[in-house]
Amino acid sequence: MKQVVFELFANLERLAGQHECVIEVTDDVGTVGDALARLASARPELAGPLDRCACVSGDTIVRRADALPADGRIALLPPVAGG
Amino acid sequence: MNRDVLSHLPVAVEPLLELEAHPECGGLALFVGTVRDHHEGRSVRHLAYTAHEPLAAKIIREVEQATRERYGVPYVRIVHRLGDLSIGDIAIVCVVRAPHRAEAFDACRYAVDAVKHGAPIWKEEFYTDGSSAFVEGCCIRDDLDEQASRSHHHHSHTSHG
Repeated sequence: MKQVVFELFANLERLAGQHECVIEVTDDVGTVGDALARLASARPELAGPLDRCACVSGDTIVRRADALPADGRIALLPPVAGG
Repeated sequence: MNRDVLSHLPVAVEPLLELEAHPECGGLALFVGTVRDHHEGRSVRHLAYTAHEPLAAKIIREVEQATRERYGVPYVRIVHRLGDLSIGDIAIVCVVRAPHRAEAFDACRYAVDAVKHGAPIWKEEFYTDGSSAFVEGCCIRDDLDEQASRSHHHHSHTSHG
């Protein structure tokens, strides 16, 4: 087992009631997309908005097909509305 | 370049203009976005901007660079405010210096639109009735599959300055 730490923003953070969400995943979870699927089952109330979230590792957008970041941290960015 | 593109403190416009520099420029376009007291028929009391700061700063710097290259202008400077803002406070400043006005105006509009649509910044509005909401925004995933694309409702924000 390993941990994945999701950092939540905006309406997702409000929905979860927390800025970080930690889930335990099995070692066969290899991609960002795998980890998101586990998050959606572990926290079904967060599943809806996930499709329209960008995933970020550090300061770089990562794709669903990319390998899970080595530090196990993924920021979930809902649709943006600056300006 | 380590100039701040995100600010948790009120933004001063004057220092961003660089009026003492760029003698080759005869045009300065300036856009200042301020907090409006209404949104889609609702009365807004104040709002809060939050960001994924590392990526937002990187994207704003990329927009500055891309705008300089695309319009051939020497100076593009953008600052976006974060934190709690009151009505009338400055939310975003974009300054473009250019040899002539046409590319100054065009570059300024392009840069502001690119930041609004691409930088991970969120606006939470607090209404006079005591409720609050995050403003519906633009999805910045770059790997949306077809199914997700079909259900993706893209809203234009170009008039929401």
